[in-house]
Parts: sequence; structure tokens; C-alpha cells
Amino acid sequence: MSVGYKAVQWTHSKKVYDVVIVAGVLLYLATFIIVGKIAWRGDRAISDEILLIRALGTCAIVMLHIVLAIGPLARFFPRLSPLLYNRRHLGVATFLVAAAHGTIVLGYYHGFGRLNPFVSLLTHDADFGVASSLPFQLFGAMALVILFIMAATSHDFWLRNLSARTWKSIHMMVYACYVLVIAHVMFGALQAERSSLYPALLAAGVIGVTALHVAAGLRERRIDKQPWAAIDQDKKGAWIDLGDCRDIPNSRARTVCVDGRPRIAVFRNGDDLCAVQSVCAHQGGPLAEGKIIDGCITCPWHGWQYRPEDGRSPPPFEERISTHRIRSRDGRLELNALPEPPGTAVPPARLPEEMT
Amino acid sequence: MAEWILTIVAAYLLVGGLFAIAFVSAGVSRVDHAAKGAPLGFRLLILPGAAAMWPLMLLRWIRSDG
Repeated sequence: MSVGYKAVQWTHSKKVYDVVIVAGVLLYLATFIIVGKIAWRGDRAISDEILLIRALGTCAIVMLHIVLAIGPLARFFPRLSPLLYNRRHLGVATFLVAAAHGTIVLGYYHGFGRLNPFVSLLTHDADFGVASSLPFQLFGAMALVILFIMAATSHDFWLRNLSARTWKSIHMMVYACYVLVIAHVMFGALQAERSSLYPALLAAGVIGVTALHVAAGLRERRIDKQPWAAIDQDKKGAWIDLGDCRDIPNSRARTVCVDGRPRIAVFRNGDDLCAVQSVCAHQGGPLAEGKIIDGCITCPWHGWQYRPEDGRSPPPFEERISTHRIRSRDGRLELNALPEPPGTAVPPARLPEEMT
Repeated sequence: MAEWILTIVAAYLLVGGLFAIAFVSAGVSRVDHAAKGAPLGFRLLILPGAAAMWPLMLLRWIRSDG
């Protein structure tokens, strides 16, 4: 949340997160190198440089799969949301590991010729007619450029100054990066591989990531297609019946989507209910999947907070989101589908006695 | 062809690098008032992004109210 910028707004959980990332990377590299030394011996022996290139490359691919899997997994298992909070740290770490892989490749395979190493990289293996001669290193280099752009613009400063839409578009390039990485491996390392283990692992990763995204997309679509009938109309829009709200756990929310408009989060705070837009002002995180912590609606992605009664961040922060009018009438809870201007105070509705 | 591409990329990054130094030193606080008095760590962290996004940030800097 924006008051003044810092390099990193460290919290205990961020420190733990980063320690786990560093320890995980080091453990993976050490395990890969030890197992590689044992597996690739005698006629199949490889140099230490190639072993390190493989260790770093596979590590970056595993990290990219985790980055891509965290989002949909957190939607199905809210307990995994803390993994999502600091995903950008994992993204930056993925870039650093991939950059180390690329740097060693550039020096080892292109650094000893007469050509400039970058010219050598661009002109190497450039035959688009044969699978084994596709410029797989170029695919890897392009993926690395995308990872760099995402890592370089990961700070909140960029989110605020590039606009949320542009920032999101830049960071959606992670999918293009993923396709390039898969092509890089398929037309590179796997062309010389005789074991079926590596193609099987790669296929499992691609199928897993794709299946998770499709499943999460279908779940979101189901939420958006729920029918909410208008029961009343006034100057400020249609009122819809929220039905029985007893099943909303305390401090949690129900997602409501009316006629394909932006989602609304109906939060239960004890016996009171309030409604706000479900889109966080930070990165568009799903507020309805968050919870009320210390009296504030807290985004599940990065912990940005808003007061339930007026959609304003607690001082000294200045972010605001839209609120929605909500009322209790004739034993029913009703929500107005039209958003109030961001930061507008709206009285909460009391849960009807029939629902307590 | 490859040499041409690399020359263009190198020129872009060279200009971007020089711009980024000026931007994180002086321009950033004009573009975004929340960056006034920001620590060195923050400025170093946004330096690579400023080098990569320099045309956009140059426009923002020119249009800033100072």
C-alpha cells in the first residue's frame, strides 16, 4: 500500500518466504549435481559446466511451473494463499536462476569463437525446416528477456506508474515465456535425450499447469453464471435478493456477479453484512477470497486492506474501492448491484433473525 | 542481420542505462511524489526497469508537473 516507497517492505512472512526460496534452490542444485555426478559417469560423463547448466536450467523450469501453479491452486485451496502473497519474489528468483543458466551457456558455448557471443547465439542452429535444428537457444533467450522485463517491473512503483492494465499485460507475458521455455527444452535438450523420463516429466508439467488453469477458469465461470434476479428497482439501480446468508462464514465473503458486471464481495462481519467491489485496487486481486483481519477486508494476494464500511484503506494509506448498498428487509437480505463511488460510506445490513 | 539487431538493442540499452541513472536520481520523485526521499535500495531496484522502459518513463518525466 502506498505511502512512501521502500526497496522491499519486509515482513516476517516475506523473510520466511525468501529463506525457503533460497534454501529450496540451493537444495535442488546440490541434489541435481550430486545425482548427476553419479548418473552421468564413464562414457556418459559430462563436464562440470554442463552439469551446472542442466541443474540451473531444470531448476528454473521447476520454479516457473510453481509460479504458474500457485494462482489456480490458491483458488481451490485458500490455505495456500500465503504462497501467492509474495509470488513476485519467486518470479524474480526464477529470473535470477534462469539468467545464471543463460550466462553460463553464453560463455561456454559461444564465448570462445571469433564471433561476438551474442551474434553467435542469434545465428546458431537457425534451420526452421528441421526439428533438431530449430533455434532452441533463441527461444530460451527470448524467454529470459520476458523474465527480465517482469522481474525489472515487479516493484509496486511500476504497477502504479505503468497503470494496472499495462502492468498486468506485461506480467501476463509469463504465458508466452512458458511456451518459449517448453519449445526451448523440446527442440534443445530433449532432441539428444534417449531416456523417456525427461519428456514424460515435461509433459506432466505442461498437462498439470494447463489442467489447473482450465479447472480454475471453469470454476470462475460458474461463479459468474450464477443467476441473481432483480426484485426491486430504484433510481440507483436494481436490488437483488442475496438468499440465505447463514452459509457465509464469519469474516469471509460470498462472490456475487450480476449480469456479467464486475464481481461484488458480500462480507459477513459478525451479524453484519457489507458489500464492496471484489477487485483489489492494487493488482486486481479477488477480495471476495480474502477475509476480514483486524477489522479490515484483506486481499488474499498481497494483504492490501480496506474498511468494510466505506471501502477506504486505513490511514495513512489512501486507496479506495467501490462499496454497494445492502439492506435487510422483510427477513431478506438485498444488495444493490450499482456501485457507489469509491470510498463511499454505506451502513452495514443486520443479518435477519431468521438467518442467525 | 544479427549484427544489426544487436546494435539496435545495444543502443537502446545504452541510452536506457544513462537515462535510468538520471531517472532514479532526479526524475522518479517528479513522476511519482511518493518516491520523494525514497531510499537508495528502492532506487537501485527500479533501475533495471527504468533502463528497459525508458521511452515510457521519459514521456512521464516530460509530462510531470515537477
